[in-house]
Amino acid sequence: MTHGPDFDELLGGEPLGPEREQLRRVHEMLLTAGPPPELPPHLEAGPNLAMTTVRRRRQVRRRVALLAAAAVAVAVVFLGGYITGNRGPGKTISAVRTIQLQGTAAAPDALASLRVQPEDESGNWPMTLDVTGLPALPDRGYYAVYLVRNGKPWASCGWFLVSGPHAGTTVTLNAPYGLRSGDTWIVTRVVAGKTKGAGETVMRPANA
Amino acid sequence: MELALAMPHLRAVPTDGATAPPPETPDAELLALVAERDRAAFDLLYHRYVRSVFGLALRRLGDRGRAEDAVQEAFAAIWRSAASYKPERGNAAGWLYTVARNAIVDRFRTAGAPVIAEVPDLAADEPGPAERAEASFVAWRIHRALEELPRREREVVELAYWSGMSQSEVAEYLHLPLGTVKTRTRSALARLSGLLEGELG
Repeated sequence: MTHGPDFDELLGGEPLGPEREQLRRVHEMLLTAGPPPELPPHLEAGPNLAMTTVRRRRQVRRRVALLAAAAVAVAVVFLGGYITGNRGPGKTISAVRTIQLQGTAAAPDALASLRVQPEDESGNWPMTLDVTGLPALPDRGYYAVYLVRNGKPWASCGWFLVSGPHAGTTVTLNAPYGLRSGDTWIVTRVVAGKTKGAGETVMRPANA
Repeated sequence: MELALAMPHLRAVPTDGATAPPPETPDAELLALVAERDRAAFDLLYHRYVRSVFGLALRRLGDRGRAEDAVQEAFAAIWRSAASYKPERGNAAGWLYTVARNAIVDRFRTAGAPVIAEVPDLAADEPGPAERAEASFVAWRIHRALEELPRREREVVELAYWSGMSQSEVAEYLHLPLGTVKTRTRSALARLSGLLEGELG
């Protein structure tokens, strides 16, 4: 699976030599890093006084959490339309949905149901994955659930382990990102030390 | 505005009329100023790193609300601990990463069972975990470096790498000639290479 733009197509034939290798390394770092997060308005605005207040930290922290939630709620109400209209390509989604996933050739017996819950007040999209038919992985291996945007793995939504193909597994996941129309999810297999990027896709939407 | 006036803890950090340090001030010098309680320096450092801190917190905590709390605590820790930074022991970006990461881990431990978006960070001398720790640090540095790019270069990088668009589609979307998009992309990568010089081994 392609995990980003092709370096040679991106730059063409220039530059050559050591400079090209330096740029290739930056390219790989960009792929590893993934997209920077969208900041909520109150973090975008700048530091606040509580960050520089050392005393009464617990009380301050609790108040700040409450106030931050209030500020986010206010910001969502007043800025929701603005943000929605300025996210670039694609539109946001709001409906709850359930996505059926099926195994690829790497896990032909695997079946799963991914239920995406309503967005919470902080901008999270909690999800529940029910999966069967995935084999247990060797040590340091795990399954990862990736949000797919424009056909490519875009961001991690969590990970899980299974005890074997006959044991059903239910896991709670989260997409802490602004979801858009057309977004979907895949399950990949990651083996530490052997896998680069998102890993091998083992499950994809049944209707893909 | 009324909300901020009624709730003083969310007011912006006052700069006490102090002269703001120049935007190109190195991180280490900003930390030295923060150690002397220079709020303008803290404001500049915050804007450089807030996206990196929030990104790291999201990766670890997998929850926007808790990640926002962790950002709060991470910058509070930076404010409290700036005097402990010793330039001879390592670069400022690494120190900031460690302080922020510790604050996020504290949040992870104290907030009960979390939803995990990323495999937990693990000992750095083991192959798999080390790679994951490295990936977190790479994301930290890349997101920090992106803040330094001119807007027009940052735009083409973000569209090329994370929108799924081809170069031709980026050109069409931005109403630019394809050659201009390629030139900006190359320029952006070269600029990032310079910014990340210490990371490229």
